[in-house]
Amino acid sequence: MKASERNRTRVGRPVQRRLKATYSWFDERTGATELLHKGLYEAVPSRGSWAYTLGSATLVLILLQVFTGIFLLLDFTPSVESDWNSLDYLRTSDPFGNWVRGLHLWGAYTLILVIGLHMMRTFLSASYKRPRELNWISGAVLFFLVLGLAITGAMLPWDQAGYWTTVVVTNIVHYFPLIGDGLRQLWRGGDFVGPLTLTRTFAIHVWVLPFLLLTFIGAHIYLLRRHGEFGAWINYDTVSDNPDREIGERVRHAEPPYPTRRIERRYAAPRKTDDFFPNQLFKDTVVSLGLVLIIFVMGLLSGAPLDAPADSATLSYVPTPEWFFLPLDQFLVLTPHNPLIAVGVFLIVGGGALAMLLLPFLDRSRDRRPTRRPEVLVPVMLVVFIVIFMAVLGVNRLYSLSP
Amino acid sequence: MIALTQVGGNLLTNGLLVAVVALAHVQIAAFLIGASTLMIVSESVSLARRDRDPRHDRLAHGLIKSSLFVFSFGAALAIFFVLFVLSGVWGRFFVDLSRITFWSFFLEAITFFGEVVLIYTLYANWDRLDNHRLGRIGLLVLLNIMQFLQFFWIDVVASYMLTPNGGELNFLNQVLNPTNLPLSLHRVVGNVAWAGAAVALVAGFRYLRATRRLERTSRLSGGAPALSVGAMAAGNAGAEPPEAAQARYWDWAGQWGAIWAIGLSLLQPFLGYSYAKEIQLHAYPSWYSMMFGDLSNVFLVQITLLGLIFVAGALYFWRRMKEAGAQHHRLQGIVAIGLILVTAFAALPAWFAPTYADAVAAAGNKPFWEGGLLNPFAYFIPYKVGALFALMTLGLWSLTSYLRAYSRGQLRPGLVGRRTQFTLLTLGVAVSVMMMVMGVIREHARQPYLINGELTINQQQITNNSASPVGGTSR
Amino acid sequence: MKRYSRRQFLLLGTGLSAGAIGVLISIPAIGFLLSPLFSKKTYTWITVGPIDQVPVGVPTPLYASMPSIQGPPTEPQVRAVYVVRHADGSTKVLSNICTHMQCDVHWDQLLQQFLCPCHGGLYDINGVNVGGPPPQPLPEWVHRITYDADTGQHVLEVQNRLNESI
Repeated sequence: MKASERNRTRVGRPVQRRLKATYSWFDERTGATELLHKGLYEAVPSRGSWAYTLGSATLVLILLQVFTGIFLLLDFTPSVESDWNSLDYLRTSDPFGNWVRGLHLWGAYTLILVIGLHMMRTFLSASYKRPRELNWISGAVLFFLVLGLAITGAMLPWDQAGYWTTVVVTNIVHYFPLIGDGLRQLWRGGDFVGPLTLTRTFAIHVWVLPFLLLTFIGAHIYLLRRHGEFGAWINYDTVSDNPDREIGERVRHAEPPYPTRRIERRYAAPRKTDDFFPNQLFKDTVVSLGLVLIIFVMGLLSGAPLDAPADSATLSYVPTPEWFFLPLDQFLVLTPHNPLIAVGVFLIVGGGALAMLLLPFLDRSRDRRPTRRPEVLVPVMLVVFIVIFMAVLGVNRLYSLSP
Repeated sequence: MIALTQVGGNLLTNGLLVAVVALAHVQIAAFLIGASTLMIVSESVSLARRDRDPRHDRLAHGLIKSSLFVFSFGAALAIFFVLFVLSGVWGRFFVDLSRITFWSFFLEAITFFGEVVLIYTLYANWDRLDNHRLGRIGLLVLLNIMQFLQFFWIDVVASYMLTPNGGELNFLNQVLNPTNLPLSLHRVVGNVAWAGAAVALVAGFRYLRATRRLERTSRLSGGAPALSVGAMAAGNAGAEPPEAAQARYWDWAGQWGAIWAIGLSLLQPFLGYSYAKEIQLHAYPSWYSMMFGDLSNVFLVQITLLGLIFVAGALYFWRRMKEAGAQHHRLQGIVAIGLILVTAFAALPAWFAPTYADAVAAAGNKPFWEGGLLNPFAYFIPYKVGALFALMTLGLWSLTSYLRAYSRGQLRPGLVGRRTQFTLLTLGVAVSVMMMVMGVIREHARQPYLINGELTINQQQITNNSASPVGGTSR
Repeated sequence: MKRYSRRQFLLLGTGLSAGAIGVLISIPAIGFLLSPLFSKKTYTWITVGPIDQVPVGVPTPLYASMPSIQGPPTEPQVRAVYVVRHADGSTKVLSNICTHMQCDVHWDQLLQQFLCPCHGGLYDINGVNVGGPPPQPLPEWVHRITYDADTGQHVLEVQNRLNESI
């Protein structure tokens, strides 16, 4: 044995021993290993697992928003006099300022896209059926919270785009029957958009909605862990001649968290599962990395736009909503005047949102294949088509109006 | 030396000529585009199924065969259209139009080469491609793209004529002129709906023919009259005459076509309304003419036809569900009655005078119960908008409820009465007529302009170019 | 008198105490939240300028610096004021705030109408809504026109409020 090697073992072993001892001291007091095991070891359906990465990608993107949002707060001042200046300073004088703002913006765009895909996937696989109704409802609430964050975020830069978005969005609430005028006044802090509107919107964007968001994320993940990932109908096919016995075998040998009790036996346990760690976690991480890379590059290349400072006296500005609100904006164009504005905005859009929230109680069929559920698939496809068409028509309208 | 002549004919004959040829042209073109879309769907479904669903395969094969004949006939008609009608009778206008929208015409024209090659390749090699289903689908997708580009570029021209947005535009602004995208979306959906309705129409006829033969043979052989194909098939499958299999296939094809026709028509009230909204903003006089002027009563015919499409579809679904004893068939009947009521309400005459101006001139600018000529319950807003929404909702209900019964296996194929097929015939004819009425409205809304606000019909008729333009902006 | 067990007493006490905490916090919080509904608004007259040069029959934008009447004192907000003079001598002082979603309406020369670019609202020269989604006519600013004897001109003054709520 060479001297150097002997040296290493003499030094190495006690260090390892020390580290181990320190960890076991820590573990004894915190239960970290047990927690890690509980957190990481779980069976997930093996087929279609790339599609199940969308949920964790959503989580990663939300955390990215929290992270970049905190950084933006270091420089941003929410007051009508210095708001635009602080963002202009960020853009012109801070070498990383516009990049971080770009990350926040493109992170929001990607988040909305991914959360939409996640919901679409969940809808098509009917994962929201018993006992996972509350998973869907908490997820739908999260979707609405993210949309709320997106729209209040678009209002914060006190440039032309932000200012006119604020005017329109705070005005929509006043069409609510009876209490609409009061609501608008409360949000604006007065009759017109002014200094209080900005601070109130800021408080909603930075405190109220994120607080609710994190609460519901906790509930959503708890429910996911309680019932396990449903996957899709492809995980519950039977291959043998005796499906009953095959399903019986499957349920008996299921790994936790399966079999899901209080569910139709056929869908209680998937045919084949993989371990979450490391199989699914790897895929989750790869997808999240891809998305973060896109955001990273787009944030660097395109940053975040800043229009001219807010000007309430403009006669030429064409207020343009963010792309994800374009369909709703087009809906406002198509809804003819009172009292149909209230009907259109609150009865139709609100009714649609409520139907989306309560989907598990509207779709009571037992089968989970999309083609066996035309009663929900056909209306949803109609709505999806109309939403896409409204976005296209909105782009066309704004293009032909801009000077 | 031959003297330059004035364009021949008079306004009425020339207008009638262009109308007849253009309407036929649109029916053919729309069918071809919709058919290639339906072929892609059918081939994909057939490929995805384990049993390779021969019905879908047969339908796609039938559609490519009919596409070939329709395309050839359409080509002959197009020569007549361009050579004789546009160049010969409307030459002066056509020169100006093809100068302004040269690139759109050019891009449209070159796609025909691709279309010819693809249609003939698919037609001639259909059976040979049986073992290369993906290749067949790929060719169909190419064909679809070709046809889509073709109609998109010609839509640029058509929509530019209605909303030139202040004169000669550059290419990008022509493409994104205010009504191009609304019109194109309206037509994308309409094309496939029309192809579905055409399939339903043909299938209805073929079913009736097959069952008539079936009845004749059973009467000749002295057997019990075959009232329903299903009973026949269930009775003795071995001795089943070929007509029974034919009838079963056509029954299925009719149903498939009707589902597409109704499903896509559900989007049309919304898209049409959006389109009209852009016309209101960018071609106010045309919009006024459609809603308050000469065309307002034609517009009511159009709304009636729209209602008729949904009613025919709902009645078809109801008959089939009733005959099969499917769940909720009574509700389907109630929905059909609801659709009839909504259509009747939507088709209420807006006023009891030809136009709004006439009502005002006759001092009838007040509700009919005050002795006027107006019927406030027939105003577009909010009543007709509400009626359109109701049509969409009830139509959605009827289609969904039918598909629900279908997916639960409650509808046995072939179990259908002859009378049910008449609803399919009505559906096909209604879609076809509606397309024509829409064409008439769209082209007439520009009167007296050829290019809205820019070039009038009279200008086209004047040989001497020094005549002062009557155009200017109409807005 | 009803007798409470120890357990019942504890539950009742906890519930009442927690409720009291909630009430104590809520009173100022809700009052604070609702204060914009009860805040007193002060309106002032702002001089816009002479209007004799405004052409008859053409809506012309003038500008008024309107002091903010909410929150902490800030710079005044500039707003466009459309002055429409008719041949008969009457004058309208229209706001350019669309009655649909309060976007920036402008006079469109081509259309000869007021156009709202947000959702395509159309108003005629008197501010009457004639097309698109707006539910009511353009409101006027509360205004008065005074004759200045020194300069011999009619001067427009407006208040920072509209003559009807939108």
